[in-house]
Amino acid sequence: MNVVFAVKQYISKMIEDSGPGMKVLLMDKETTGIVSMVYTQSEILQKEVYLFERIDSQNREIMKHLKAICFLRPTKENVDYIIQELRRPKYTIYFIYFSNVISKSDVKSLAEADEQEVVAEVQEFYGDYIAVNPHLFSLNILGCCQGRNWDPAQLSRTTQGLTALLLSLKKCPMIRYQLSSEAAKRLAECVKQVITKEYELFEFRRTEVPPLLLILDRCDDAITPLLNQWTYQAMVHELLGINNNRIDLSRVPGISKDLREVVLSAENDEFYANNMYLNFAEIGSNIKNLMEDFQKKKPKEQQKLESIADMKAFVENYPQFKKMSGTVSKHVTVVGELSRLVSERNLLEVSEVEQELACQNDHSSALQNIKRLLQNPKVTEFDAARLVMLYALHYERHSSNSLPGLMMDLRNKGVSEKYRKLVSAVVEYGGKRVRGSDLFSPKDAVAITKQFLKGLKGVENVYTQHQPFLHETLDHLIKGRLKENLYPYLGPSTLRDRPQDIIVFVIGGATYEEALTVYNLNRTTPGVRIVLGGTTVHNTKRDRVLLCCPDWSQTPGLKQTSQLGLPNCWDYWHEPPHPAKRWGFTVLARMVLIS
Amino acid sequence: MRTCPGTNSAVRSHLSDFKKHRAARIDHYVVEVNKLIIRLEKLTAFDRTNTESAKIRAIEKSVVPWVNDQDVPFCPDCGNKFSIRNRRHHCRLCGSIMCKKCMELISLPLANKLTSASKESLSTHTSPSQSPNSVHGSRRGSISSMSSVSSVLDEKDDDRIRCCTHCKDTLLKREQQIDEKEHTPDIVKLYEKLRLCMEKVDQKAPEYIRMAASLNAGETTYSLEHASDLRVEVQKVYELIDALSKKILTLGLNQDPPPHPSNLRLQRMIRYSATLFVQEKLLGLMSLPTKEQFEELKKKRKEEMERKRAVERQAALESQRRLEERQSGLASRAANGEVASLRRGPAPLRKAEGWLPLSGGQGQSEDSDPLLQQIHNITSFIRQAKAAGRMDEVRTLQENLRQLQDEYDQQQTEKAIELSRRQAEEEDLQREQLQMLRERELEREREQFRVASLHTRTRSLDFREIGPFQLEPSREPRTHLAYALDLGSSPVPSSTAPKTPSLSSTQPTRVWSGPPAVGQERLPQSSMPQQHEGPSLNPFDEEDLSSPMEEATTGPPAAGVSLDPSARILKEYNPFEEEDEEEEAVAGNPFIQPDSPAPNPFSEEDEHPQQRLSSPLVPGNPFEEPTCINPFEMDSDSGPEAEEPIEEELLLQQIDNIKAYIFDAKQCGRLDEVEVLTENLRELKHTLAKQKGGTD
Repeated sequence: MNVVFAVKQYISKMIEDSGPGMKVLLMDKETTGIVSMVYTQSEILQKEVYLFERIDSQNREIMKHLKAICFLRPTKENVDYIIQELRRPKYTIYFIYFSNVISKSDVKSLAEADEQEVVAEVQEFYGDYIAVNPHLFSLNILGCCQGRNWDPAQLSRTTQGLTALLLSLKKCPMIRYQLSSEAAKRLAECVKQVITKEYELFEFRRTEVPPLLLILDRCDDAITPLLNQWTYQAMVHELLGINNNRIDLSRVPGISKDLREVVLSAENDEFYANNMYLNFAEIGSNIKNLMEDFQKKKPKEQQKLESIADMKAFVENYPQFKKMSGTVSKHVTVVGELSRLVSERNLLEVSEVEQELACQNDHSSALQNIKRLLQNPKVTEFDAARLVMLYALHYERHSSNSLPGLMMDLRNKGVSEKYRKLVSAVVEYGGKRVRGSDLFSPKDAVAITKQFLKGLKGVENVYTQHQPFLHETLDHLIKGRLKENLYPYLGPSTLRDRPQDIIVFVIGGATYEEALTVYNLNRTTPGVRIVLGGTTVHNTKRDRVLLCCPDWSQTPGLKQTSQLGLPNCWDYWHEPPHPAKRWGFTVLARMVLIS
Repeated sequence: MRTCPGTNSAVRSHLSDFKKHRAARIDHYVVEVNKLIIRLEKLTAFDRTNTESAKIRAIEKSVVPWVNDQDVPFCPDCGNKFSIRNRRHHCRLCGSIMCKKCMELISLPLANKLTSASKESLSTHTSPSQSPNSVHGSRRGSISSMSSVSSVLDEKDDDRIRCCTHCKDTLLKREQQIDEKEHTPDIVKLYEKLRLCMEKVDQKAPEYIRMAASLNAGETTYSLEHASDLRVEVQKVYELIDALSKKILTLGLNQDPPPHPSNLRLQRMIRYSATLFVQEKLLGLMSLPTKEQFEELKKKRKEEMERKRAVERQAALESQRRLEERQSGLASRAANGEVASLRRGPAPLRKAEGWLPLSGGQGQSEDSDPLLQQIHNITSFIRQAKAAGRMDEVRTLQENLRQLQDEYDQQQTEKAIELSRRQAEEEDLQREQLQMLRERELEREREQFRVASLHTRTRSLDFREIGPFQLEPSREPRTHLAYALDLGSSPVPSSTAPKTPSLSSTQPTRVWSGPPAVGQERLPQSSMPQQHEGPSLNPFDEEDLSSPMEEATTGPPAAGVSLDPSARILKEYNPFEEEDEEEEAVAGNPFIQPDSPAPNPFSEEDEHPQQRLSSPLVPGNPFEEPTCINPFEMDSDSGPEAEEPIEEELLLQQIDNIKAYIFDAKQCGRLDEVEVLTENLRELKHTLAKQKGGTD
């Protein structure tokens, strides 16, 4: 149940199967993103893959000394492209892998195009999703629904992505879905349909307890994506935006050229892997340690050139040193930027009120705090609107609801119309009328006592007191207490035992806060493995809630980020920085060789 | 669903389906191509230039039936109507009709290329139906000057064959395939070499790293030379990789037109990955220790291992020891006895009973027996293991052995220290007695002086120089200091070994030059005239001997004697210089070294006065001759009665010296020296007392 591993295995297998020799990887727009999430450039270079081409790029040269590995989604366009390619082959031999089920007729037309017998392999490798973390995947779909219903194209893409995930993990699951959401039901049915149709594919060795697929809808918990996050990964995503492990730092004031865009990948960055789920304060101290460590190892400039032995030592330490210096400067920059944004936007205070809104039921104090923050000029209009959204969601039906007053305050603050519209959009999207379950008030005696105790003890960290609703859902699911009237099974059979392998899919996108929840559940609950997925991974700006708003796409500042989900550029197309030039490497290397 | 080995995820292959569909298609295509090529072959199989066009046409028509002109009113390709102007042309390969515009031509070289290539492939593929038809130049016989009468209207194609675009296309594709099959671009060749090098590195580097790690840990599994050879080899491969990738990088850069950008990108990427490879792997190559470092490392490791194992083995060792004691007790005791007797062998007349393992250590030998025994056992084990070729066992055993030896040595020194302490206590008791003895000694000394001065002037001069006894004591003890210090710091002095041993004795600066090194350098000298050695060898006889020898041997070896006076003068300034001399002398003594297997220098030292003076039986003793020459000593040697007083005298002298030295050492705060010296003193006193008891 490790999605990163699963996809990586697929890619490795493809490369391995093609044997030795220079290779080119032919991909489409989406598979580019899929591959780039699990493989770094240098890693893939070591496997003799030197060129990365898009199947739709027209000016590819004939290079008969290269082997081509094609990893493509089985779309109509891609099939056409590859037919053209095979008619006039540019490479010596082709290994074709489709990321999903391809129709027999497509295979036939491909075969007929291959007059020169250049195709050596045609396979389906089900790496049809973006593996973000080992237990988090995304489909990078934005605006998957029109209103309350699926966009048909996106429904089919989501179905493909989800079935590919099931196949790559070799799970043939029972399906539960959120009854209150029509979209969830539709998706569940589509997945079931595929499983039935491709029953051959889904014939895995039966496990004692069948895996479970739980399909949820974001509208059930519109709160979580609206909150500011304080764990590293979530925070970076919220404040800077992570796109296929890449962070755009170009807007950071005074950024150096090297750090315009950095990669945060738990696969290759130990520090990130260890710290992605820690909160901001802990990151700070860890960064400090990293710095100190780095300073210790950093060779003194004058010392460096004193003797050949010194230089040799430097060269011998070079890979670690280089890696480390890269890591240090990267994380220092990122954390520095985060803390700058935090103070600039007064986020600590904002977050405190957000958490209060999300977790507590004290209406008057909440209202007071919001009003106070709305007066604060440091609070951005977006954060202000967000606070009001939270208020609107929480106290929608409160007797002394003063939403109109807050809206007035927003207007007075100078928050633009677009943002103000969002408030009502959010309520419409995730309001009480839509929600299948109660987000805010405790439902049973246990929960009431829990909340009572929590009030007594006080919270450890005011900024992280919010637990996403998913936590409760999963907790119930694991304990077998998830109500069937709210989350029915698709089909007649039900699960008797405690579920072991759980795949949760959130229509409308998952959040990093939920990923953290899943991560912690995986860690703390032995025998239970959970994978979380969503049509996308949210930050507030990208919240599909907001995308529902018709004006959204015209919001100038936000349009850009809303489209970040599509991997339109991948590092592989950039030229690698030449290490020899950077480090005077050849000189040093030669010295080592001579000595 | 099937799972690929290596992946844990589902996959599905469409390959068989694909192949089925493709096969159907390909068969058709291949048949088509082959048909064309066979026809082409037939068309080119005769000498076209020298054949009449009518005949050519006949042949052409026989290859493929031509389509009737009437059936095709329009060009099937461009749709133009055929007329007188727009004439019909037949494809010689498929017989179809097209207009001139749409007509293609196949040159003879191309045709030959296609047919010959297919012949090759056919013959290799052994498809019998098509292979026989391939005799080249069957018409070669008709070489003649028969000028071809070309028809006016029909231009004759001497060197090309008409065909339609479709056939030409198919053939061109085929040609391309052939080209690609034969042509390997430079980059591929270079790249293959590059990969070979990388593979080599992948093979060798881990081996080297294993070696280097082992060597750096001080292990002796691999030899240092082998490892460094391997290192050089691997580094050469790296250089090659660097050069090859650079070559790839610059490939075709100067060409016109420049290569396609994606080609350049490929080259850059290859270079980049090669650089990465070199960086990663080359820098992973740890450096080897130098020889000296390696020795140190070995030592360190041994010590570490010892420490580690000492604890582990303690228990095992003891039980083992007990067992072995029982088993081989007899044998080893016998061996021990042998050693002892051997040691005693060369000096059977020696009366001194030292505290050292030889004599005084007799009692100790029983204590240390188990240790020695163990050492013996282990050496024999090592021999056995070596014979059996079990090197790892040998190693562990050797470690064991070392450990035991260290322990043994330690025990010995501890005992020595303890003894010396006891001796120091006794010292006071004997002081009185000594005082008396000293007086007597002085008397004798004076007597001797008189005798000597009668003999030679030089000698008397010598004596005058040394004359006062205060000087002597301050000189003699230094020998002991030297030994004592040697004991403590044996490895240090060897580094400052003298270059010119004969002169060394005169150089006051080289105080601490070590005895072993000096000894080695001195050894060749021992084969020189013994007169030469005499003075430098025996410190006690020196004064006595050097002068008579100067007389007796008119031409004494330059270094030893001629420089002696100056040396002596220097001695007065620098008492340390003498130690030097003494050390050298002792070490250089060829008899002492073989005689004293025990590392303790005291045994050697103790033997000097007694052996040399009291044991004329020792074969080849260099003092024999000098003593014979020296009338004074001849006297003493001649009779046992005369022997004793001299011995006594010398002993007393020695005791005096040592005492003085102890005083000196005490003042300087060198307590360890004091200890050692007091031991010596005690021993001497003991000897003296014995002698007295025996003679008086």
